[in-house]
Amino acid sequence: MPDVPQNGGYMVAAYIVTAVILLGYALSLYRRTNKL
Amino acid sequence: MSLAQKGRWIALLGLVLLAGVYVRALAFTPLERFQGPAQKIFYLHVPAAWSAMLAMGLVGLCSILYLIVKDARFDRFAAASAEVGTAFSLVMLTTGPIWAKPIWGTWWTWDARLTLTLFLFFLFIGYLLLRGAVAEPGLRARYSAVLGICGLVLLPFIHLSVYLFRTLHPQPIVLKPSSPSLPGSMLVTLLVSFAVFTLLYVGFVTQRYALALLREAQGREHA
Amino acid sequence: MTDLLRQAWTVARKDLLLEFRTRTALVSALVFTALVLTVFNFGRDPTAVATIDLAPTILWVTFTFAAMLALNRAFQLELENQALEGLLVSPLSRTSLYWGKLLANLVFVALVEAVGLPLFVLFFDVPVGRVLLPLVGVIALATIGFVAVGTLFSALVIRTRFAELLLVVLLLPFLVPPLIGAVQVTARLLGGRPLSEAAGWFRLLAAYDIGFVALATLLFPFTVDE
Repeated sequence: MPDVPQNGGYMVAAYIVTAVILLGYALSLYRRTNKL
Repeated sequence: MSLAQKGRWIALLGLVLLAGVYVRALAFTPLERFQGPAQKIFYLHVPAAWSAMLAMGLVGLCSILYLIVKDARFDRFAAASAEVGTAFSLVMLTTGPIWAKPIWGTWWTWDARLTLTLFLFFLFIGYLLLRGAVAEPGLRARYSAVLGICGLVLLPFIHLSVYLFRTLHPQPIVLKPSSPSLPGSMLVTLLVSFAVFTLLYVGFVTQRYALALLREAQGREHA
Repeated sequence: MTDLLRQAWTVARKDLLLEFRTRTALVSALVFTALVLTVFNFGRDPTAVATIDLAPTILWVTFTFAAMLALNRAFQLELENQALEGLLVSPLSRTSLYWGKLLANLVFVALVEAVGLPLFVLFFDVPVGRVLLPLVGVIALATIGFVAVGTLFSALVIRTRFAELLLVVLLLPFLVPPLIGAVQVTARLLGGRPLSEAAGWFRLLAAYDIGFVALATLLFPFTVDE
């Protein structure tokens, strides 16, 4: 029975990147609509 | 409540629920035996793809409708959808290679999915650049609509060409990607994630649309 | 229909006559093509990779550049002579305007390709004799694909600041299906594979051309009308 691959690092990276992009965009929208 | 505020609340709800998806995917969804933890990227990548495709589809649809009835609301929506689509396709474009590396052994592979992702991203960027380059609102709306429709028609051709390319050039796979039939728990996580990403799309588009309205009200050229 | 074609020819002829009077764009495109082919030659190691493996890519990169040059030169003509306003005021239909420009651009690219192909055969010692007809066929199909969309997009970017750059950026995704098809077919033809293997790609190229020429014809009026 092969071991489960140890690639958790990739998972973490992807989850962080996604959060950064989505939060970043949400923030950008908030600030742009707030200025007006 | 103004449109911008409604959008903000929807987006906020989406983000909170996204955190919930994170928790569920990371802690409460079983590990895939052969692909390991990296398989869980799937729960973000695929819904992001859905949102990006939805965004592009609506850009195309609104472009057609705009050219037919010349209603500025369609143009505004198309512009909003394009910007939101760019964000989601950026998520696709980053999570795709991060997923590919452990599963296929390489950061990039010209398979149908990743290639389509790349060109979808270019289409969105091109659309936004065109809008930025044309100052006059009427002209900008018409030109963007032309591009939007062409983009929509292009997508099936890209898919077909890459598919044709791949069926004749099978590539080695290090680990087999997820099979279509997912065990129950994983399927639930995926479906919830789809719903959350759709909610995020709605929240973001609403805000971006509101932003366009606000700018126009202020008499600014760029909406 | 014949009226449309006649009008289209009038538009095409004007562009082509203007082009041939100065000849600068055509000559630069030809020289550029020769240059690109030369650079490719020095960029490879013939003992490491067989020419025949690289040949299709070399050919198509060269032709893609040629098509881009043709599309860019089409602008210069319009902008310099303010010909666009003149054309719009004339009784020519929008559709014949598009087809005329398409025709002129195609003739220009065809000329460059007609010189480029023999140069390619010469520089890389590629056996095209037996497959010349299908090869010309695929070159024609792919070129129509690039130029049909490119001509439409030229109208979109003509009044913008970084027009040539924007044109390339917008066009890039649209070059992908014809380019993949063209390289695949060329590779099979040069590799002596039976024509039937390339049938699927030919169909894709043809479908792309028909689809986008029709779409561009339909959409072009929106780029010039009020």
